[in-house]
Order: sequence, then C-alpha cells, then structure tokens
Amino acid sequence: MRFTEFTSFDLILLAQGLSVNVALFLATSLIGLMIGISWAIVRFYRVPLLCEAITFVSELLKNSPVLVQLFLVFFGLPGLFHIRVTPVTAATITLSANTAAFVYVIAISAIESIGRDQIEAARVFGLSRWQVLRHVVAPQAAAFAVGPLIALLVNQLQVTSLISVIGVVDLTKIGNILNMRTLKPFIVWTAVGLLYYAAAKLVAWLGSHFEKRLRAHSAWRGL
Amino acid sequence: MRLDLSILLPHLGFLAQGALLTAQASALALAGSVIMGAFVAIARTSSSALLQRISFIYVDIFRNVPFIVQLFFFYYGLPEIGIYIDAFATGVIALSIAGGAYASDVIRAGILAIDQGIIEAAKVSGLSRRVMFTRIVLPIALRTSIRPLGSVLINMILTSSIFSTITLNELTGSAQIVVSQTYRPFEVYIVLLVVYAALTYLVSLAIALLHRRLNRDMMEAIA
Repeated sequence: MRFTEFTSFDLILLAQGLSVNVALFLATSLIGLMIGISWAIVRFYRVPLLCEAITFVSELLKNSPVLVQLFLVFFGLPGLFHIRVTPVTAATITLSANTAAFVYVIAISAIESIGRDQIEAARVFGLSRWQVLRHVVAPQAAAFAVGPLIALLVNQLQVTSLISVIGVVDLTKIGNILNMRTLKPFIVWTAVGLLYYAAAKLVAWLGSHFEKRLRAHSAWRGL
Repeated sequence: MRLDLSILLPHLGFLAQGALLTAQASALALAGSVIMGAFVAIARTSSSALLQRISFIYVDIFRNVPFIVQLFFFYYGLPEIGIYIDAFATGVIALSIAGGAYASDVIRAGILAIDQGIIEAAKVSGLSRRVMFTRIVLPIALRTSIRPLGSVLINMILTSSIFSTITLNELTGSAQIVVSQTYRPFEVYIVLLVVYAALTYLVSLAIALLHRRLNRDMMEAIA
C-alpha cells in the first residue's frame, strides 16, 4: 500500500522542517554575530599575527562554497580527529563560521566609516581605546552596519537549506521526502519555496523596523 | 591525526575534469544571467507599470527562495510537464534564472546611474528606443556595473557546487567520488576549499583588470 496522496499531517511535517531551519538560523546568526564582532575588535586593536590569521580565514570562508565547508566539517573532521560529529553540530559550526566571516567584513567597513578625526578627538580627551570603541565607534558603526547585516541575514536564512545535504531533516529534506512519496514536484517545491519566501520576508521586515529605530536620531522629522 | 595530501595525486586528472565542468556551467550561466538580467533591468526601468511590477515579482521571488529549492523545482518538475533535459542543462537554466535576478539588480543600478543628459541627447538625435537601449544605455550600464557583475559571477561559481545534489559531477561532485574511493575526506575537502578560493580570487583579479580596461577613458578624469 502506497500513500501517494497529501495528508493533513504533511502540513505538520512542513512546519517542523521550517522550525528546524529557523532555529538553526537564529542560533548560527547569534553565534556568527558574536564571533564576527570579536574578530573585528581584534582588528580594531591591531593585534599582530592574529589579525592576519583572521583575515585569511574569513577570506577563505567567504570565497568557498558553503556546501564544501559543510562536507569538510561533517566528513572531514571525524576522518582526521576520530571524533563524532552529528549533522546538527556540523551545520551549526559551519554556518556560524560562515556568518562570522561576512559579519567581520561588514563590521570592519562600519568601523572604518567613522572618521579618524573623531577617534583622535576622543583619544585627546583622555578616553581609553576601549572607551572610544564602546562610546564613540560602536553606536555609529551599528547604525551604519545594520542595513548590510539584514541583507546578510536574509541570505544566511537561505543558506540553511543546504544542511539537508548532510542529512539534517529541515524544510528542504521534508520537501524531498514528500516529493518522493507523492511524485508531485510542482506542488511540493512551490509550497517549500513559499515557506522559505515568507520566512525571508519576515526577517527583512523585522530588520527594516529595527533599522528605522536605530536610525531614528537622524530621521527626517518634518519642518 | 595524519594529513597526507599525496593521496590526491592519482585523482588530480579526475578533479580537473570536474573543475572544467564547473567552469563550463558557470560560463554558460553567466552568459544566460547577463542576458536575462539585461532584459529584466530594461523592464524594471521601463515606463510601463505592468512590466515594472512583473519584473519586480520575478526578482523578489528568485532572490528570496533558496537556490537548492529552485533547482529541485526544475529538476523534478520539468520532466513532469514533458521536458526531458539532462542535469547539466537543468542546472545551467536554473542558475541563469536565479543569477539573472541578481544581475538585473546590478544592471538596473547601472542604468539608473546614467546621466539624464545622455538619454536626452539620444532622443534629440532621433534615435529609436531600441537603438537607444542597445547602443547607448546598455553599453554604459554594463561598463559601470562590471565590478558588481563580477561578484555575481563569483557567487555563481560558488553556487554551482549545489549542482552536485542533482547528480552532476562538477568539482564538488567529483570530489565526493574521490572521497568514496580514498576514504580521506579531510584532505580532499580542504584542497577543494583552497581550489575554490583560488579560482574565485583569480576571477576577481581578472574582473578588476577588465574594469580598468573598459573604463580607461574615465580614469584620466579622476587621476
């Protein structure tokens, strides 16, 4: 007996798949943001050697396919170190590192967008490097970076679909399973695509609201 | 823990074949997406509200749905409506359509950046709309947007690694086969990572040269 028809349970499956994507997206974005920003701080302090190493790693991560990075972590690490790596761990490590590499670039350009004269003036007033970073650079850099960061996050949400290739049962994997069972590719992949689309739009919408709040101080208030 | 890259030597020819397939697919998809992008950019900057709306919907959908879902949609869906093409053609078509959405945004920005006086001069000279587009608007727009188009191309090279999920043995796909023969995933994938990074670095160098060559008459004004 073959269940080739769609059932109402399929909706629950799709929702489950989407929740896996969203959960992984939230977790890796948070970890990636923290790592990326701490890399940028290392660069702000101009730590020798560490600085060059970070730039090299981020360039490597930015210029190679996420799929290969996933394979490297999921198949490569257990092969080399004889450790156990579950698909979810591998996905978390890879996507966090990948997000961090892009966040690093955005954070650096945000920091560099702030005029040197401001930093010099703050230093002359006797602020320490950390105080300059915390009270002068960070607030302005955040307002500058929020736009590119939202674009990055929308992109990273779509990248989470790749984890299905290493066996995480996410929305794309569910789509695959439903496709194989019902043999109705148009309906299945349209539904999956719509769910991803809705999630991406939601992230973009939330992001633009947040951006408006961050930029409220310089918004046009009318005459 | 043992890192031995020499086990890859017998498989280099096989990997090179995969790299060639990646290059072919990327080149074809680049041509496809620039053509697609040029048409969509014209539609988006046209005076017809309907054309603007349709082209916006196209860009919005294909930028917000993960590429792997689009690829599965075409790969499993096309045979359903009686179109039987191989994985290579499917991949190139899907990547052209997805890349076209990104390329159209870039070309559109190039068109919007054209000095209004140039278009007025063309109108006054009595050129037809078609000649105005093919001889004046597009060449200028493509020339100024060559750099962002390059990053679209680099993204396409990286995205083409997803072709390995629809049984196409390009660089990533052939690396998977090498792994299954050698049981040395770490060595294979770390080399693959570096190869992709080197490939995209070379492409970005070539694009910087092309950009300087195409815009050489504008350089002197700045220098």
